[in-house]
Amino acid sequence: MSSAPAFPPSAEPAAVRVENLSKSFNDPKRGEVRAVDRVSFQVARGEIFGLLGPNGAGKTTTLRLISTLLKPTSGTALVGGCDIVAEPAKVRERIGFLAGETGLYPRLTPREILKFFGEMHGMKGAPLAGRVQQMIARFGIEKFADTRTDKLSTGMKQRVAIARTMLHDPPVLILDEPTAGLDVPSARNIEQAVKEAKQAGKSIIYSTHFMEEAEFLCDRIAVISDGVVKITGTMEDLRRATGKQRLREIFVDLLGI
Amino acid sequence: MRFPFLAAIYRKEMLDLIRDRRTLISMVVVPVFVFPIIMSLMGFVIGAMEDKAERESKTQTIGLKVANPAVRETLSKAGLVVADKDNLRALIEQKAIVAGVEEVAAAGQAPEFRVYSDNSNPTSAAASEKVRAALAGLKEAIVRSSLRASGVPEAVLTPFSVAKVNVAPPKKMAATMWGSMLGYLMILLMFSGGMYPVIDMTAGEKERHTLESFLATPAGRNEIVVGKMLAAMTAILMTALLTLTSIVVSIRSNRIGGNSAEVRQMFSTIPLDAGNIGLILVTLLPLCVLAAAVMIAIAMFARGFKEGTSYLTPVMLFVLFPAMLGGMPNLELTPALALIPIFNASQLIRGIILGDFTRAAFLVTMAANLVYATIALAIAKNRFETESVLFRT
Repeated sequence: MSSAPAFPPSAEPAAVRVENLSKSFNDPKRGEVRAVDRVSFQVARGEIFGLLGPNGAGKTTTLRLISTLLKPTSGTALVGGCDIVAEPAKVRERIGFLAGETGLYPRLTPREILKFFGEMHGMKGAPLAGRVQQMIARFGIEKFADTRTDKLSTGMKQRVAIARTMLHDPPVLILDEPTAGLDVPSARNIEQAVKEAKQAGKSIIYSTHFMEEAEFLCDRIAVISDGVVKITGTMEDLRRATGKQRLREIFVDLLGI
Repeated sequence: MRFPFLAAIYRKEMLDLIRDRRTLISMVVVPVFVFPIIMSLMGFVIGAMEDKAERESKTQTIGLKVANPAVRETLSKAGLVVADKDNLRALIEQKAIVAGVEEVAAAGQAPEFRVYSDNSNPTSAAASEKVRAALAGLKEAIVRSSLRASGVPEAVLTPFSVAKVNVAPPKKMAATMWGSMLGYLMILLMFSGGMYPVIDMTAGEKERHTLESFLATPAGRNEIVVGKMLAAMTAILMTALLTLTSIVVSIRSNRIGGNSAEVRQMFSTIPLDAGNIGLILVTLLPLCVLAAAVMIAIAMFARGFKEGTSYLTPVMLFVLFPAMLGGMPNLELTPALALIPIFNASQLIRGIILGDFTRAAFLVTMAANLVYATIALAIAKNRFETESVLFRT
């Protein structure tokens, strides 16, 4: 017996298509925990898709599943037409993943880190060096490109991390709270880069705790709680469904708090 | 396995490693300097202790409870300080005198001279030895003069003499000592030299939150493990090579053993040439893979540097024991014993230095350690594919 597809086929396939994705963990105290429960959504080219939810809602697990760091218990996702379960290596070639608590190698310089991640995407030689230089210029890293990252401020590090995520020009960006802990200028810088990526036709999955940022940046938003997607849609859709205006109120309403 | 990926991962790990002060200390500073420092200290201490005993045995008082004037005169002439004392035993214990001589006379018998000393004290032992030698000289002089008085030729005293000849050349004597030490030392330093780099590239990556981004790249899990393994092996091999070089150089340029000719002779040479150095390195190579893989597999469980250290410290203890046993003399490396990891390498290195090992033992040791290394590598690779290990936080 086969279930009906979660999404009707469209003329232009979505860049990311998440279908009934579930992940359970075995917790020694609580037994089996469903961290992600039949999550489905899709992200088109040139779209920023916001993933909102309280801590422990399953946002990070969902992003880790799509990035092939974790294997789903059931369901799957297609990234640029590649299946995360069947072709994880191909999926990793098509994504730029920024983890929530991204660390940079403290003893390496931004230039060395960018070069290394370029090599991990099969880039090499003069094209790689050129691309690294381009990213250094784009993200204003010139002044500290050859300083060990353990000497850099949080904002500087996050710029390097974003540059690293976009270096190989992936069609899909998966950004887990990219502006957490940043001051306004640094956050602004990153939001700008994300908008540019959107204009370049990238598909972006963007998780955040900042309601303002989500309202301002995201084309569509999914609110997730206890591993379940409560609602998906544009701001207009969300307003219509809840009768609230501001995303903060919508969020509170959906979580029932 | 794609070579450019492997090379890039190896380069990154090595760059990260040589910029880490902790690693540099355990990999370079310890193997290069620890041995020469220990050697010089040992030489200095042994020499100083002997000199002190020698000097003090001549300047400290030896108590006498002796009526015989010849004895008193002989001891004075031998350069010893003597004084009449009662209760010699107690005075030695109180360190008021360094040794004592008591004349015990029994009716109808030759007198007995009892030499008291505290042999736990090197000075007292040295003094009593001097007293004994002086009295032996006096005894012989008396015998000789008696013989002369009776008209007996002195030659009757020595109908024959006995000489001991050690056919083991100094090189072989040194080999027995180095055989029991070198393998143990090198294996121990290899594991300790690899410990910090391994923790840094496993638990350290978790702690600094760099692992997740690394795993999200197209690099294969096996490429990541092997790249890290090669970097860890470089650190381990470098420690082994530096240790060996440092030992050879400090042996050949140091004077160890003070006045003890025997100790000096043992330390004066280290029977190593290009041939057996090569064999030792071949023996250590599979052990190097084994060390890297085992430590990576274990350290991968740890959430951070501190936890990694506490996981790997017991490993060091497990290594210590077989490595030490492997250096024991009178054990023969049978093919069955050659199956015991670490012990087999330590024992084989001993055999190589002594020039005494069988081809079977060599081959079994190599094969066994290669098999163990492969198993450990498979386990390490599996650790990198286990979600609960990678994301253990």
